[in-house]
Amino acid sequence: MIGKFIASLMLAGFVAGTAQADADTIESQLSLRGFGTIGLARSSSEHAEFVRDLSQPVGIKGGQWSGRIDSILGLQANWQATREIELVGQVVSRLHYDRSHNPEVMWAFAKWEPDPRLALRAGRIGADFMMLADSRLVGYSYLPVRPPVDYFGPLFFSHFDGVDISATSQLGNGLLRAKLFTGSTHQKSAGALGVWDTSGSPVKGIVLDFASGAWQFRMNAAQIKFAADMNLSVISVPLQNAANFGVAGAGLAADSLRTKGTVTRFLSFGVVFDQGPLQFQGMLNRIKNESSLYKDSYAGYMLAGYRVGSFTPFIGISRWLTQPQEHLPVVANPVLNFHYLNTIDGSHVDRSTLTIGTRWDINTNTALKFQWDVIRTSANTEFSLRNVDSAWNGKTDVLSVTLDFVF
Amino acid sequence: MRTIRYLLICVLAALATSVHADLVLVANPQSGIERLTQDEVINIYLGRYRRLASGVVAEPLDHPADAETRARFYRRLVNKSTAEINAYWARLVFSGKTRPPLVVENVDSALKRVAAQPGALAYLERSQVDGRVRIVFEFGD
Repeated sequence: MIGKFIASLMLAGFVAGTAQADADTIESQLSLRGFGTIGLARSSSEHAEFVRDLSQPVGIKGGQWSGRIDSILGLQANWQATREIELVGQVVSRLHYDRSHNPEVMWAFAKWEPDPRLALRAGRIGADFMMLADSRLVGYSYLPVRPPVDYFGPLFFSHFDGVDISATSQLGNGLLRAKLFTGSTHQKSAGALGVWDTSGSPVKGIVLDFASGAWQFRMNAAQIKFAADMNLSVISVPLQNAANFGVAGAGLAADSLRTKGTVTRFLSFGVVFDQGPLQFQGMLNRIKNESSLYKDSYAGYMLAGYRVGSFTPFIGISRWLTQPQEHLPVVANPVLNFHYLNTIDGSHVDRSTLTIGTRWDINTNTALKFQWDVIRTSANTEFSLRNVDSAWNGKTDVLSVTLDFVF
Repeated sequence: MRTIRYLLICVLAALATSVHADLVLVANPQSGIERLTQDEVINIYLGRYRRLASGVVAEPLDHPADAETRARFYRRLVNKSTAEINAYWARLVFSGKTRPPLVVENVDSALKRVAAQPGALAYLERSQVDGRVRIVFEFGD
């Protein structure tokens, strides 16, 4: 599998490299670019699989080196149709919810920029639910091997079909940019409860960005209204049957597990300080779910790096914590109530990570990264992992080596 | 005395070299601007905001990726290496946000472009500036 993937990487790199000859000349209106990561990682625990985000159905475990979770290849074409109109298409191959690496259309949009102060995009565009979330597959563009899993892990949305409009103006010595977006998702995630298809779920949100000198501040607020329920028949059918027989609380419990028609809200704040060799970024987010199936959560991270020659060592910490639900219905049948609460506890997360590593810029378009993640969770945290067994003790160390490149 | 004279000559030679190696940013005389601040140059070259105070759309020009001048320009502007600048652009380009500056093949092409387009901007050595363009930004010591 990985051999085929690397072969396709090399072939695509050759094709794109050939195209690059025309890509950077001043008059070219069509440019072809690409990015990719060849990554190897190993997770020490035998009892739970570490994943990059919740879209991945399987992860890594047991001290075996694997290229499964981080290897990515992307190709992008930009066509500057006129001075004001640009068409952009991007295709990415990575591990999907169905274990395939089939190419996925990440972006396919038209951009109209009548003025540097205003831009409108329509089509399939990046989900800017959280700061930097729309470039998290481009390993070459950031310091660590992967964006902090504690922060970006639950965010399996990469794109949506819709429009966004952004306006930029000068404010004091800085720049203020506001962006509004709306559309509907097209994505699926995989987990213990099977594949969850969120296609057709409407999303909307706002991004406020202020940049001044080395500082950048951002606030994002977004929401998604789910168009479908998850496949929870293993618990929802018994609850519904019990409700039909008059078991108190069963109907309310069944309804509380529905996702269709419920809204999840995202709020995030971010700050970046980037001056010369020093980089620092910190972000906080809050996710609130109307469905009781998912617990509300807080997450945050800080990451700092300092360039020394061609090396940029970095250190980061991150935290992901869910909150217990309140006002849950009580099912009069104790066995059903136990399974109901057990289902809800499936989304419990209490997890933190210490990350240490270095980025080595081998040349101006290739970087080699080494990273060590010390991951600690409560023993009952299963949601952020895959195939957790009863011996999971909440501890695993992940070592990663990646080669990131752009062309 | 000979040693002092020799040292003086060396210092003057070094000063002369640094003057000739001085990078400046030039614009079209019709651009409507006399000067740009370093923050404005950063905003234009890093794709944050490409509108001159006169209302003209800024069109920054870059030197080829392997040009020493390009590495020196970004080092002076934001103290970033070429790899860091490429990483920055990877984030913006691959999220479909904005385009990097257009690349010109050499200084002559840059000067022609700046002379022909009101919004075009280019960096070059001070000694390469001619009457067709106007210096709008120079790095302080």
